[in-house]
Amino acid sequence: MIGFILRRLWFMAITLFVMASVMFLLFRLLPGDPTATVISSALHPDAQAALRASFGLDKPLWQQYLSYVANMARLDFGFSFQTSRPVAEMVGGRLLNTLVLLLPSLLAAYLVGALIGAFIAWRRGGFLDTVSVVLATALQSAPVFWIGMMAILFFSLKLDLFPVGHIITPGREMAPGLAGYFDADVLHHLALPFLVTFSYQLCFPLLLMRTSMLSTIGEDFIDLARMKGLSERKVLLRHAMRNALLPLATTLPMLLGWAVAGSVVIETVFSWPGLGQLMVSAVERNDYPVVQACFLLSAFLTVMGTFVADLLYGLLDPRIVYE
Amino acid sequence: MRAVFSAIVQFLRVVTATPIGRVAMGICVACALLALFAPWVAPFDPTLKHYDSAGKLLRIADPSFKHWLGTTSLGRDVFSQMIWGVRPAMLVGLVVAFGSAVIGANIGLLAGYFGGRSDNLLMRFTDIVMGVPFLPFVIVMLSVFGKDLGSLMLAMTLIMWRASARIVRAQVLSLKQMPFVAAARITGASDLAILYREIAPNIVPLAMVNMAFALAWAITTEASIGFLGFGDPNVISWGSIIYDAFASQAMYRAPWWVAPPGVAIMVLVSAVYLVGREYERVINPRLAGP
Amino acid sequence: MLEAIRLCKTYHSPAGFVLARNRAAPVLAVRDASFSVAPGKVLGIIGQSGSGKSTLGRLLVGLEPASSGQVKIDGQDAAALLAADRKAFYRRVQMVFQDPYGSINPQHDVLETVTRPLRYQGESGDARLRQRAIEMLDRVGLRPAQRYLETHPHRLSGGQRQRLCIARAIIMEPRYLVADEPISMLDVSIKWDIIRLLKRLVNEQALALVYITHDLATVRTLCDEVAIMLAGEIVEFGPVDTVLDAPRHAYTQALIAACPSADPARRGAPERAARA
Repeated sequence: MIGFILRRLWFMAITLFVMASVMFLLFRLLPGDPTATVISSALHPDAQAALRASFGLDKPLWQQYLSYVANMARLDFGFSFQTSRPVAEMVGGRLLNTLVLLLPSLLAAYLVGALIGAFIAWRRGGFLDTVSVVLATALQSAPVFWIGMMAILFFSLKLDLFPVGHIITPGREMAPGLAGYFDADVLHHLALPFLVTFSYQLCFPLLLMRTSMLSTIGEDFIDLARMKGLSERKVLLRHAMRNALLPLATTLPMLLGWAVAGSVVIETVFSWPGLGQLMVSAVERNDYPVVQACFLLSAFLTVMGTFVADLLYGLLDPRIVYE
Repeated sequence: MRAVFSAIVQFLRVVTATPIGRVAMGICVACALLALFAPWVAPFDPTLKHYDSAGKLLRIADPSFKHWLGTTSLGRDVFSQMIWGVRPAMLVGLVVAFGSAVIGANIGLLAGYFGGRSDNLLMRFTDIVMGVPFLPFVIVMLSVFGKDLGSLMLAMTLIMWRASARIVRAQVLSLKQMPFVAAARITGASDLAILYREIAPNIVPLAMVNMAFALAWAITTEASIGFLGFGDPNVISWGSIIYDAFASQAMYRAPWWVAPPGVAIMVLVSAVYLVGREYERVINPRLAGP
Repeated sequence: MLEAIRLCKTYHSPAGFVLARNRAAPVLAVRDASFSVAPGKVLGIIGQSGSGKSTLGRLLVGLEPASSGQVKIDGQDAAALLAADRKAFYRRVQMVFQDPYGSINPQHDVLETVTRPLRYQGESGDARLRQRAIEMLDRVGLRPAQRYLETHPHRLSGGQRQRLCIARAIIMEPRYLVADEPISMLDVSIKWDIIRLLKRLVNEQALALVYITHDLATVRTLCDEVAIMLAGEIVEFGPVDTVLDAPRHAYTQALIAACPSADPARRGAPERAARA
């Protein structure tokens, strides 16, 4: 098991390294001055030259690459064109904001979706089944940012239940660190984006669980459990669900990828100051160091999430033996 | 390529067998036709600015007999924009879905059949691509190569083949064991001949299922890119309509502007997804239940 | 003449890790097999599952390389022939597989299935190939051949499929045919039809047939000589009547004793089939 973990971590490192290298190459493919990705062209030419020398951009490409790699390893992402502050500083807080929105909604969506899906399958057919399948399919097909906008239109503007975007009422400051999120105002702002993301991500596990349950229920061991005299609830939870959960575990990495992508648009709709929103605004301003850092961090989240998901899957399925 | 043709025929027959399938397929075909004939179906040029009788720009007008869905903040007819918006959705969707299906299928075929080193190499590469966050990557590519449809299609295709590759490879691994492959080998056929004339025809249905789901995903992504403002500025897409609405800050006053594009995306993506599911149900007997 | 000279096949499990806790012992699937088959004659290879008989069949046909030993076709080394010209080799040696369902590509219809081998060999000419297909189908008893041509294999019964596989094998006009349990997946009523077909083909075309089976009942009808396999080794060899009536090896005796017979007096000896 330890060997498995070490090997996966090593592979993750390689993956991120490859991606960082691809970023390096990509940004130097920009038409015009390849140093435009590191030094803002808005600066005075003398300042640019000075920066160029200090950043070592007059050195050969392979040397630049080596120092680039070294910087990445130290989590030094350079300086933002817009704010001239270290990118790492800008990105840190944002990362937390994204995670605070992404993780709870993903987990809740999975749990609730799986439960509802299992329940629907257990009841087998009827009005509830048809309605939920139709709703889930429709909701899953609608673009999540549009759902967000409709939600704002209805719940925030018409019903005045929630604020329209942002993480806190303008003017107020958020307390640093994790404690900052346990503020009523912040939570009030978190509510609608959370609900929207939750509802959207709910559909996939729901439909998958329903399908998985329907095929599991048909299997012999369920009849055996019933014949043993176990209560319906026990059969449902302990036997049927446990086995039907497997496909959900294998698709968790895929859903995580969707969640990371979804966070980009959701944060934009709700002006939620996370990684995704930062990336979008950085692209609009051609602030390449920030764009690159956001991308690499998203990649890190995705890769890490996949790893955790695989570990969980190994725990769930006794047939899997990790060597 | 007779296998592809017969697979398509089988696909059409399967998908139109159930009422859901017929409706879904109908919607897809309708959208495809709409995309082709948009210039003739749309009442107005989507970029044409309209003025009222007083000569003032008809901003964010309510729906009327002339403008079924009202106008944008620049006085353009929303309904015409909606019609034209099908084009990039279908174009990008189909090109990317097809391209990624073909690439993914071939990688899966080669990796699964030849095994060993090449399999290992291809799968490690696929694993790395699996770790790439899709939308952020497309955004980065667009910021480097420019915001046009070509770059978008390229960026999307570069990543989307990954799921297809694994699925095809898995099926190839089990097909490889079948006696008819051994039977082909003892005719003196070369490996490539066996791979593309015996095994490949058997994975075409699976590749088509992948393609259907890829199409759904591609349409959604194209809309997301449009919404973020990274779409081709010369192209009107459903995503860009929402972007215009969002950017003008007036969208909450004009639900007729904001709601239709989303509904359109929802309907088209649902239709594509359902078509894919109907087909998958038949060719993949593992999935039980209604 | 098809000869096997001290054939061996060993399977090594994939390398375990440094700890080598899961390094299994190598499997000796075939040990020191030697025999020969002349044209017009049938050799039966009898054994239970895991005896290595299927592996032996695959070695003879070149689907797998032998670990040691040699296969000779008409006095020439088979491995050398294969390396030199695969296509030519497979015009002389062919195989019929056990599973009539899995050994036909579900994407192909009957015409396609039968003529594929010729196409892979580089032959073309739709009309000519079609004519050859009709000849073959006719010869294996799928009549009227024209009616079968556009049929899809999944509409055929097991017996018909196996005939189709035989047609596919002999369309190359091989001199040597290996049949790996061709009837084990067929209904009892169909088995004898296939056995008779094989017998007829052997006689008509002077084929040398290696018939691999675990079913003693069919052996006496079809085979001239038999080899009994146990755990990879040939433990007994000889003319079919000698081996079956007067078995010398303990295993052969046990095999025969286990064979059901309708006549209690003759219990233990596989009878001559009622319809030979």
